[in-house]
Amino acid sequence: MTKRFGGLAAVSEVSFDLQDGEILGLIGPNGSGKTTLVNVITGALPYSGGDVRFRGDSLRGLPSYAIGRLGVSRTFQIVKPFRNLTVVENVMVGALFGAHDGARALAVARRRAEEVLDFVSLTHRAGAAADGLNVPERKRMELARALAMRPTVLFLDEVMAGLNPSEIDAAVALIKRIRDRGTTLVVIEHVMKAIRDLSDRILVLFHGEKLTEGPPAEVLNNPDVVSAYLGRRYAEQSRA
Amino acid sequence: MLALQVLINGILLGGLYGLMALGMSLIWGVMNIVNIAHGALIMLGAYVTFWLFTLWGWDPFVSLPATIALLFVYGYCLQRFLLNLIVRAQLFLTLLITFGVEVVMVNLVRIFWSSDLRQVTPTYAGANFAVGGITIPYVRLWVFLTTVILSVLFLLLLEKTRLGRAIRATSEELRAARLTGIPVAHIYAVTFGLGAALAGAAGGLWGMLFPITPIMGGGLTLKSFVVAVLGGLGTMMGAIVGGLVLGLAESFTATYLGPTYPNAISFGLLVLILILRPTGLVGRRA
Amino acid sequence: MRLASRRVPLVVGALIVAALALAPAGLSPFLVQFLINLFMLAALAESWNIIGGFTGYASFGNVAFFGIGAYTTAVLLTVAEWPFALALPAGGLLAMAFAGLIGMPILRLKGHYFAIATLGVAETMREIVYNLKITGGGTGLTMPITRSPLPFFYLMLAILVAATLVNWWLSASRFGYGLIAIREDEDAAMAMGINTAFYKTVAFALSGAFAGLVGGVFAYWITFIDPEGVFRVIVTIQMIIMAVFGGMGTVVGPLLGALVLASVSELLSTQLVSLAELFNGLIVILVVLFMPKGLAEVIRKREFSLKKLARNLREYRV
Repeated sequence: MTKRFGGLAAVSEVSFDLQDGEILGLIGPNGSGKTTLVNVITGALPYSGGDVRFRGDSLRGLPSYAIGRLGVSRTFQIVKPFRNLTVVENVMVGALFGAHDGARALAVARRRAEEVLDFVSLTHRAGAAADGLNVPERKRMELARALAMRPTVLFLDEVMAGLNPSEIDAAVALIKRIRDRGTTLVVIEHVMKAIRDLSDRILVLFHGEKLTEGPPAEVLNNPDVVSAYLGRRYAEQSRA
Repeated sequence: MLALQVLINGILLGGLYGLMALGMSLIWGVMNIVNIAHGALIMLGAYVTFWLFTLWGWDPFVSLPATIALLFVYGYCLQRFLLNLIVRAQLFLTLLITFGVEVVMVNLVRIFWSSDLRQVTPTYAGANFAVGGITIPYVRLWVFLTTVILSVLFLLLLEKTRLGRAIRATSEELRAARLTGIPVAHIYAVTFGLGAALAGAAGGLWGMLFPITPIMGGGLTLKSFVVAVLGGLGTMMGAIVGGLVLGLAESFTATYLGPTYPNAISFGLLVLILILRPTGLVGRRA
Repeated sequence: MRLASRRVPLVVGALIVAALALAPAGLSPFLVQFLINLFMLAALAESWNIIGGFTGYASFGNVAFFGIGAYTTAVLLTVAEWPFALALPAGGLLAMAFAGLIGMPILRLKGHYFAIATLGVAETMREIVYNLKITGGGTGLTMPITRSPLPFFYLMLAILVAATLVNWWLSASRFGYGLIAIREDEDAAMAMGINTAFYKTVAFALSGAFAGLVGGVFAYWITFIDPEGVFRVIVTIQMIIMAVFGGMGTVVGPLLGALVLASVSELLSTQLVSLAELFNGLIVILVVLFMPKGLAEVIRKREFSLKKLARNLREYRV
């Protein structure tokens, strides 16, 4: 798929397959097009070229709410809480409107929301106002909201930004539990340790193009990947 | 020939519309405040010109600087002591408060100066000259020239002076402006004062052409919106271009459709433009 | 937004409505008229609350729907000689349809652009009505006189109750959650599966429907309407400021706001129309400065102090 802004190709002919039940790590330096890729796939931005197929059906041209209802969800890099609602109410929105139209009854949605909050260990903050949370809590609520939609595929956009090492470990464990429950995940991250831990495969973007893809050990030691992040000199140094 | 007359009329009127909209565009562009009381400021300017003419016999063109100064001070105070208090509130709250200001201003004028129609009628009021079959009233021509002069002066102020740079800096990047020591509260007040001064000048000029009443401002506020949006918000050139477009549109519809249609046309235009091209004719696409 | 104890407010509300229904028996004609006016303002505030309070799209043109309802009903009554029982719902329906239609393009706009577009719609409606012959143009329309104000009392009350019930339903329903999500963060709402365009348009149409019904009753009550008297911007401002003062986005807020502000207006009202309007303008300024979050918030947080008022003053300053 390709996405251009005026003359600039933010994403250029990037192509990949996502296997059911896998965790795909999506990495690349800032500005390499990762979030743009997610935005186009989930319908937040229009395509410039190409297509995305989900279980055989094309997602191109569908509005983002329709894609959400089909079972493809995402979190936002800069979290977007519903500030004037409580945490559980935030998650209820996900439960009410998620995959296959979500829950119709509020009571059902509330139960699902409480379940999800328990899963992400945020039950103790269920009744709190959404804008009173600290950073890791906000990230978990954002995650919980997307999970409440019962997605088949979930795009996580830098959920670990701003977390300290122990919080990162907790996040990694949580994401693995999400996969174990049956959700396929695409994880955009800059925290290499976490990506190495989590991913079955890693896809690397650079300047909007696919640089390489493969198992973590291979990709993370690939000199082209190192040089994309740190520049030629470091790549050569690490080889020497 | 009629078409040419209509065209000239449209241009002469359009210049005035442009001047009116400059003030609104400035305030909107810099502080993101949509000033519903804009028409009331125009009205105030018209009344000031009227009283200076009626009480002390000052010629309306001569008294314009006084009107400008008075409205500047008024606008400065309004921003500094009232509007600065809600600048960071949700957009519609600032809209609401300027509505309140408008209601207060209009009704104060009604109470103290009555709703009687006023007119500024200097001796040269009715005179006109003809050029190739087209009649041009002197006043309209001079009004148009004055609007051109004022617009140019204003644009020079904005582009070439230190104050103008401070204003533009504040509008583009508030935090950075603060960090470089620009006193934002004061700059906001100066900006509003300038906007009010422009509105007041437009009002003074308007008062030479049309009757003055306390409620004349309402329609003018909306027309200024139309012009500002037509031209493209925040671009001063846009206000002028938009003014000419509206002036021409009104002139042609008044002549060929009927005198009661121009208002409907201008509001209809507004809604259309907002739907089809919100960045306006001159503004850059977002 | 609490799901628990939903029944108590309903019972309380029913009792109040019952009391109001019996009120005309014991009240002076002046108070009856005051109440009709109050019900009207409260109903308008509740109708605005749907699009402004719950959905977060502050429309400044709702008087357009009020006016369409008024004029549709009036024209059907006088020109087509329909019975009021049919003319009124027709007015509401046309207002609703218009709101839905105009909403589709206009709700795509955000912030100031949306506000001004709605204002433009209201002004355009006035001009159109002024130019049409069937609406009586600038001369206006005169309705047959009715002897008793009672039918209007009960009609306005009924519309108010209906509008409030809709707000109440919104405060704890899937649809309402959708609207609130749109208000809080429209992009997130869309990503979560809410068809925002559809929801916004329905909210706008509902808002228009109630405003239209109020307008229809108003036309018959006041017996004479003309474009300048009906399509007044101050009407929209009043519904907004009442909803804001009481607490926008809450069910009871607009009611409280209407009650307090209409009473204050009445107390301050004088023979001089401009003085009365002046006070209204001052009220608007004061409410925005000191109580932008509304009474409902003050009551909820139990912050009845001058210090809090002063703090409100500083919250949004430069």
